[in-house]
Amino acid sequence: MLNKREQFTGWLLLFPALFILGLVFIYPIARAFWLSWFAENLGTQLEPVFTGLGNYQRMLGDGRFWQSLWNTSVFTMASVTLELLLGLGIALVLNKTFFGRGVVRTIAIIPWALPTAVMGLAWAWIFNDQYGVVNDILIRLGLLDTGINWLGTPTLAMVALIVADVWKTTPFISIILLAGLQSISEDLYEAHKMDGASPWQSFWQITLPLLMPQILIALLFRFAQSFGVFDLVQVMTGGGPAGSTETVSIYIYSTVMRYLDFGYGAALVVVTFLLLILAVAIISVMLKRVRA
Amino acid sequence: MFIFRCLTKLKKIGSRLLKAKRLLAIFLVSLAIQFAILPAWTQQPVIIKTLIRADEAQQLQPLVKEFNQQHPDIKFQILEAPSDSNQVEDLYTSSFLLGNSPYDVVYMDIVWTPKFAAAGWLRDLSDRLSPEEAEKYLEGDIAGGMYQDRLYRLPFRSDAGMLYYRQDLLDKAGYEPPETFGELLEISQDLQQQGLADWGYVWQGKQYEGLAAMFVEILQGSGGFWVEPDTLEVGLDRPAAIKAVEFLRTAIASKISPPGVTTYAEEETRRLFQNGRAVFLRNWPYVYSLALDSPIAGKYNIKPMVHAVGETSGATLGGWGLGIAKSSKHPDAAWEVIKFLSSEDSQRKFILETGFVPSRIDLFNDPKIIAKYDYYPKLLEVVQSSALRPPIPQYAQASDILQRYLSAAITGSMTPEQAMKTAANETRNLLKR
Repeated sequence: MLNKREQFTGWLLLFPALFILGLVFIYPIARAFWLSWFAENLGTQLEPVFTGLGNYQRMLGDGRFWQSLWNTSVFTMASVTLELLLGLGIALVLNKTFFGRGVVRTIAIIPWALPTAVMGLAWAWIFNDQYGVVNDILIRLGLLDTGINWLGTPTLAMVALIVADVWKTTPFISIILLAGLQSISEDLYEAHKMDGASPWQSFWQITLPLLMPQILIALLFRFAQSFGVFDLVQVMTGGGPAGSTETVSIYIYSTVMRYLDFGYGAALVVVTFLLLILAVAIISVMLKRVRA
Repeated sequence: MFIFRCLTKLKKIGSRLLKAKRLLAIFLVSLAIQFAILPAWTQQPVIIKTLIRADEAQQLQPLVKEFNQQHPDIKFQILEAPSDSNQVEDLYTSSFLLGNSPYDVVYMDIVWTPKFAAAGWLRDLSDRLSPEEAEKYLEGDIAGGMYQDRLYRLPFRSDAGMLYYRQDLLDKAGYEPPETFGELLEISQDLQQQGLADWGYVWQGKQYEGLAAMFVEILQGSGGFWVEPDTLEVGLDRPAAIKAVEFLRTAIASKISPPGVTTYAEEETRRLFQNGRAVFLRNWPYVYSLALDSPIAGKYNIKPMVHAVGETSGATLGGWGLGIAKSSKHPDAAWEVIKFLSSEDSQRKFILETGFVPSRIDLFNDPKIIAKYDYYPKLLEVVQSSALRPPIPQYAQASDILQRYLSAAITGSMTPEQAMKTAANETRNLLKR
């Protein structure tokens, strides 16, 4: 049992950390919540005017918001699923001992270490309709007669974004999964083998269940990150063509920066924030169950 | 002996050091005179900065040089911005939002003016421009620089949408240039059937600002309106607006416009027309001088946009103008710059150099300009039938809404009524506050 004095010292020591957390997390979020009750835009000469739930009401009838939410979901689901599958494959390979494994592991991280804006520009060039490598390869293989306008066609632009994101963040997932794989004892596999299990069976019965916590953690990180994707989209398509790759964060950016609609922008931030918290909560509950 | 020699050496070094110190002192004093005292005596020129797209900044350089020679007390500088005008707008916006903007003069697209003015980033120019002086500019251009009856932007160069047509093909088939939507469709279809051209009418149908600009003309020609700036009434779901959309739908459905027109911006349509594949084109003035250098040189002409029976033509106004930033510490010097750039003499020089459209009425009939561009008097007729995109602060948002649903309507993913109704409702929601 701590006595009062010790408790006080404890709080005193915690105070700087709590203060900084409050400053960088709680204040901006609370401010966004507060602002979302007001109309503060060009129509009100940038002065805040109380509207209650007005901003949220407007969101219900805002087709662009729903489309951007849909785009974000498609992007997140597709990229996270692909990254998980590829990342698991890469992790399994890197977990085996082979000549030059150290070098290969290092090389495998490079895409993740590159700044997103830089690699986004590179991918924009790769998918360029006139000079892009992708079109060049497809034409040389005889699969195409003329280049496809990847970034100018709604569905294909989304495909291009997903490919770029998968390339960039698969290494991140494979590193987390690799750490998990290395904590699984070889003995388990040996015992399982002696009981007559095939490698396929031991993958399903040992590797996957024991790797579950790492998979969920990777999912958590990636989900939160890709739901808020901004830089990659901004550099590669800017949300175009015709809003088909506009994600929620791009929409929020235009609402605040281009339209100077601060109140509505705050409402968008709040809703996205709540959705994200919900998704993270679901994954956390799953994680707790797996661990228990 | 040895020690003595050492001592004399030391003395010598010492005196040398002393001399060096004296030199150093003289050096420092002269530095101080040059950089601290002299500038305080002589008057430093006031520096006036603005931000302009790099290509146009280059074209303006001769005028900048001339201004700085004539005004030793002001130094006018243009900072070069990216060539995408959306990015220029973002740069201005963030500099004003963060405060302490480095820009004194603001070079604005016509559609930014209400937004910048409503945000309180611009100085009121109304008292600086006399009514007699204002009358020398195109009426629409001045109106485009107004917000709540005050002037915030002086037009520097104008721009307007118009109809290009193939004089030779019309002559061959014995037609007069069309006046109405119906005539345009009819002539197009006939010429296409005769095999004189692949396509009848090409226009900008891609989802971007150009689509909204093009639609304003069709809307005005149908007797409709988008947003009434004073009452904020939205007219997009009225019968006239729906008819305007139906005209565009008909043009695509009856193969008068190519199906790809819904993905075309200015340049794609210009190329089709210039290669002789289309009879009619809706575009901006820049096409005229470029097409002089193409297979259809001498075979085309311009006129104000077609309209519905009993209505009048509208030409969407574009163009750029100059304002003074609220945050500028030298508004009077900034006004000197603006006055110089928009003077008749400067505009004439700039237009002879670049082929842009002036904002001063007299220049359209200026002998020197006509000697180089003989079609400018005709251009004046087009520009004077001007239509403004709604001069409301939330224009960017309203335009994005219209683009979205208009695009849905012309690509057929929504019916014109559905699309325009939704667009009107979203616009009303936007303007309600």
